[in-house]
Amino acid sequence: MSTGNEKQKILIVDDSEMNRSILADMLGDEYEIIEAVDGTEAVARLNMDSTDISLMLLDIVMPNMDGFEVLAVMNRRNWIQDIPVIMISAENTYSYVEHAYELGVTDFISRPFDGQVVHRRVINTIMLYAKQKRLIELVSDQIYEKERSNNLMVSILSHIVEFRNGESGMHVLHINMMTEILLQTLMRKTDKYNLKRSDIPIITMASALHDIGKISIPGEILNKPGRLTKEEFETMKTHTLIGAQMLDQLTYYKDEALVKMAYQICRWHHERYDGRGYPDGLSGEEIPIAAQIVALADVYDALTSERVYKPAYSHEKAIDMITNGECGTFNPMLLECLLESTDSIREQLAINSIKQESDRNIRNMTEDLLHYEELSASERTLRLLEHERTKYQFFASLSSEIQFEYTKEPSMLTLSDVGAKMLGVAEITMNPMEDDMIIGVSDGKVMEDIRSLVLNTTMESPVVQYDGELLINGEWRWSRIICRSMWAHEEEPDMTGCIGKIVDIHEEHSKIKDLQRLASHDGLTGLLNHSHAKRLIRERLHESDGKDYIMAIFDIDYFKNANDRCGHMFGDKVLQHMAGKLRGSTRDCDITARVGGDEFMIFMDDMEGIDNVIDRIFRALSGKYEGFDISISMGISRSRETGRRYEELFGCADKALYTAKQAGRAQYCFYDDSMDEILSAISSIDGEE
Amino acid sequence: MTIKECYEKIGGDYEAVFQRMMKKDALIIKFAKKFLDDSSYTNLKDNLGSGNVEEAFRAAHTLKGVAQNLGFEKLYKPSSELAEILRAGSMEGIDGLMDTITEEYEKTIMAIKEL
Repeated sequence: MSTGNEKQKILIVDDSEMNRSILADMLGDEYEIIEAVDGTEAVARLNMDSTDISLMLLDIVMPNMDGFEVLAVMNRRNWIQDIPVIMISAENTYSYVEHAYELGVTDFISRPFDGQVVHRRVINTIMLYAKQKRLIELVSDQIYEKERSNNLMVSILSHIVEFRNGESGMHVLHINMMTEILLQTLMRKTDKYNLKRSDIPIITMASALHDIGKISIPGEILNKPGRLTKEEFETMKTHTLIGAQMLDQLTYYKDEALVKMAYQICRWHHERYDGRGYPDGLSGEEIPIAAQIVALADVYDALTSERVYKPAYSHEKAIDMITNGECGTFNPMLLECLLESTDSIREQLAINSIKQESDRNIRNMTEDLLHYEELSASERTLRLLEHERTKYQFFASLSSEIQFEYTKEPSMLTLSDVGAKMLGVAEITMNPMEDDMIIGVSDGKVMEDIRSLVLNTTMESPVVQYDGELLINGEWRWSRIICRSMWAHEEEPDMTGCIGKIVDIHEEHSKIKDLQRLASHDGLTGLLNHSHAKRLIRERLHESDGKDYIMAIFDIDYFKNANDRCGHMFGDKVLQHMAGKLRGSTRDCDITARVGGDEFMIFMDDMEGIDNVIDRIFRALSGKYEGFDISISMGISRSRETGRRYEELFGCADKALYTAKQAGRAQYCFYDDSMDEILSAISSIDGEE
Repeated sequence: MTIKECYEKIGGDYEAVFQRMMKKDALIIKFAKKFLDDSSYTNLKDNLGSGNVEEAFRAAHTLKGVAQNLGFEKLYKPSSELAEILRAGSMEGIDGLMDTITEEYEKTIMAIKEL
């Protein structure tokens, strides 16, 4: 809220610096001028804070985002209702002017700018809007206040009923007070009714609605001075069912605790503990406790108040009449509560009778009070908002993180200014999913992934995290994107967008990746190294899913010759070639490794037709490479024969390999019991075991 | 040279500008001098040179607006005509117009520098 000393702010949006400064000079010192060089900058400024701008002077033809696009955004975000816009343009063609008015422009100032005209139009527009703004503020504050205090609405409603009844206007107040006192006393005495602290205000508030059904009872009956005839009394009795029905037919709030409670109270506040009440003749604890309490409060207040047909009885007399059963039978425990709370009831009634002036006075007092609270509420809210904004901006400026906000309606991505600079994109981007600049720095997949992650969040767990590569300061860097979805708190939760930040994790990420690779892979062939393969295999063998596995170990026949004849470089190429073949002939879920020298290992599921699989792999690995004949010897062991220990599986495959070699190489051999006595074929490379 | 003489020299509408600028010569002088740094003419020339019609239109449009605000009538008219041609996405017959604009622009700049 403006304090009066502060200058009003005018946002001038024009791509020509000359035009901006001419306007600024014409407006003089009375206003604080904020300038924006194009539409995007203007939207960015409004996005940061749209509440402090009193007026906007807007050019049409501008680069990046023109005046019409700015108006479109202002419409979508409802800014146009609060910020008057005056178009400043040399464009006077009818279609332009009409389109601008349609988009909510207040006025036009055409070129050449005339100091007098500019000044006058600006003052008029600001004054007009300031008045409107004040009114809107007043009304919305009132609505806010009233929404917050259901109590007020409820008491207005119950007052309407009372006025029709010709009651004092204090009846509802008394019922409220009595209900509260009786409830508190009852809760101290017993936990039989499962009442919670939080039920007290709800039942108390609902008690005020106990007689709303009377609204449809004819006035002659309601306010008849003498006794009611039997028929009239029957009509009167229907107020219980009518009130309940009114609540039951509410379209939207039927399931609110308050309404449910009010339903019970309306319907059953004339039931009696012995089953002789109306309308349903419920008895004992069939009657909901809230209705029992209100029934007692209602009777007590009727007795102690003056009515057309009777004087006001004293507290003592009323208690006597109730305990004697003159007004029907009540829950004995509630009667105990009534007796016990005699003091506090008297006390409260005394306080209330001091205030027992006319209704008008009470209402005036309430209104004054409300009015006072309205003003202080909105000022405080604004101060808090301002505080939060300052805090946010301060922290954002300190950190080198990229912070962002995305709104769905309109589809707009806003980046912190540091962030926009780091990514080399605009602070504001409309439709970022289709924007070439944004896609250029994030590659489509990152955006898609984050989108689907965010779309899958819920109000209960709105935060998601994603690691991906982004083009930051011209370099692709691993970044962690932490995102929180934002929700409109309505009956149906509605995602309105998300906010988040991007942290650079490039150094850690690449270090960890490198280390992981280094630790687990063979540098020459890119296959797993032995120790990492062993770990993975052990894990699988450990899994108690009952699966059987096979292990094959093979080496290249006469590999030493290739090395000797053609040199180590050639030998390395042969190994790389074999690794390629091996990868090509196995599945991704199989484990393949170079266990050392020219020895390789395959670990896979044992399955039907495994002989054929092995045969196929064996053939794929044999053949010619750059004139060099390659054949291999292979030994295979099966976990169902050797057991699930790695050492056993490996040892047996090794023995089978030895057997294959002994039999003349260039073949494969499955392990069987007869090989038990054989020593290791590759014990040299198995030295670390 | 006074500001009035300057306007006479370049065929500007001094009286109108004087009225619009709240009868303050100081303001007119300030903006006239500011015009020396205005980049719209250079922008226009560069963008025409590189064939970027859209940007050239914006520059011509800005130049037109500034000239109009400052009452540089002789510069305003050809830049306004040029802007309309460029707005239609065309570059036809603009050479003559651009020559006029350049001539008037230089004359204006020279005169302002003598203030």
